[in-house]
Amino acid sequence: MFGKGLLQGLGITLKRMVGPNITEFYPEVKPTLPTKVRSSMGLQPDKCISCNMCVMACPNSVIKLTSEKNESNKKVLTSYHMNVGRCLFCGMCTEVCPTKALTVTQEFENSIFEPDDLNWDMLERAKQKGQVK
Amino acid sequence: METLYNLFETLNNLFLIIAAFIRGLFADPQSVWANLTMDVIGFIIVVVIIVLAALILILLERKVAGWTSQRPGPNRLGPRGWFQTIADALKLIGKEDVTPAGADKLIFKIAPMMIFCIPMMTLAVIPFGKGLAPANLDLGIFYFVAMSSISTVAFLMAGWGSNNKYSLLGGMRAVAQMVSYEIPLLFSLLGVVMITQSFNLGVIVEAQATIPFIVLQPLAFVIFVIAGMAELNRAPFDLVEADQEVVAGPFTEYTGLRWGLFFLGEYGNMTALSALGATVFLGGWQGPAFLPGYVWFFMKVGVFVFFMMWARWTFPRIRIDHLMHLAWKVLLPLAILNILLTGLGIYIYGFVMGG
Repeated sequence: MFGKGLLQGLGITLKRMVGPNITEFYPEVKPTLPTKVRSSMGLQPDKCISCNMCVMACPNSVIKLTSEKNESNKKVLTSYHMNVGRCLFCGMCTEVCPTKALTVTQEFENSIFEPDDLNWDMLERAKQKGQVK
Repeated sequence: METLYNLFETLNNLFLIIAAFIRGLFADPQSVWANLTMDVIGFIIVVVIIVLAALILILLERKVAGWTSQRPGPNRLGPRGWFQTIADALKLIGKEDVTPAGADKLIFKIAPMMIFCIPMMTLAVIPFGKGLAPANLDLGIFYFVAMSSISTVAFLMAGWGSNNKYSLLGGMRAVAQMVSYEIPLLFSLLGVVMITQSFNLGVIVEAQATIPFIVLQPLAFVIFVIAGMAELNRAPFDLVEADQEVVAGPFTEYTGLRWGLFFLGEYGNMTALSALGATVFLGGWQGPAFLPGYVWFFMKVGVFVFFMMWARWTFPRIRIDHLMHLAWKVLLPLAILNILLTGLGIYIYGFVMGG
């Protein structure tokens, strides 16, 4: 009453004004994400045994892979595509993966210009990632 | 020490010296032509002050809005975002100028110009420093309030001319609000006028050499701030342009530079009212003598403006029925009480001192 609440409000905003900002300067400073964030997928092709478990585990049938047998009768990946437009990043495929070749990663800058780019060629991405590192 | 004092005196009277120099260029320094030249220069200075103030205040408003919500505000263009307003102004200039087909074209086009003219007229009577009033009127306060109340008409013209329900509603709200709040605003200034026995703003500043009137008239100052914010249609009294209720009030149909003129006018009016508040209650250009008078004046105006922004980003909008309650049932009786107390105080003071 009699403006006590008004003064209290002014005090709170003044405290906010002189206090530190909580803004993250995103493009210049990358945020530190919580460990549970799942925003991208990564594949290590040399670990993959082409068992097709991930394809069957996926609820949205995002993953499509083909393989062929080499001379020592082992399966080798020939292509591994993920239609990320339908991916929920639920992580079922990584849980089921027996060799942990497929992992959930925390890259989040996934925006693209063309809808066709949503179809990730995981082998190509793995190669590019290896080059970058 | 002597040179320092001389330097300070020169700085303090810098603009007076320049004015005397320009007058000296004429054969007769007090001729009509010399007076006319000085008036034109005064007008140009007032326009420059308004445009500069609008440029700075628009950015400052956004910065304060950011700081109160723990953001840094605009920070991309220029050092810490200080060129943002220039980019905004350029964007506004580039926009299409639309006049609605059903609008009352003349009224629609005159309204923003009127709004922008008012701060130019009101700021003319403010003494910016010792002897630095562009027009030294004897009825300064009276003139100021009379001129600033014209903006009511401009808001109604904008609302009516747009031929739009929401604009008209906003315009009607503007009339109701501004007419109501003018009364406590004027009455709060009356106490100061009673003490100084003058409407002249220069005389009022001279009278505050020892003590600013905020100490003698604290109640009047509070009423002045509240009624002033309502008079400017700024939050928490921005019912005229309440987005949730009347879209943008009278500004709904305006685009581009015409809308920008409304914006400029709002910040110009804000500067003018802050200047009046600083002159009447905070002591104008009077201040400790280590800074020139005009610096003190603009610092006080800045503090006043900052407080208004601070209040805007703190309080939610007042409800429309409470708006009228506050004006007629709270502020007006308090203002009249203040006049009564001031009168009693003057009488007792005269009785004790005069004997």
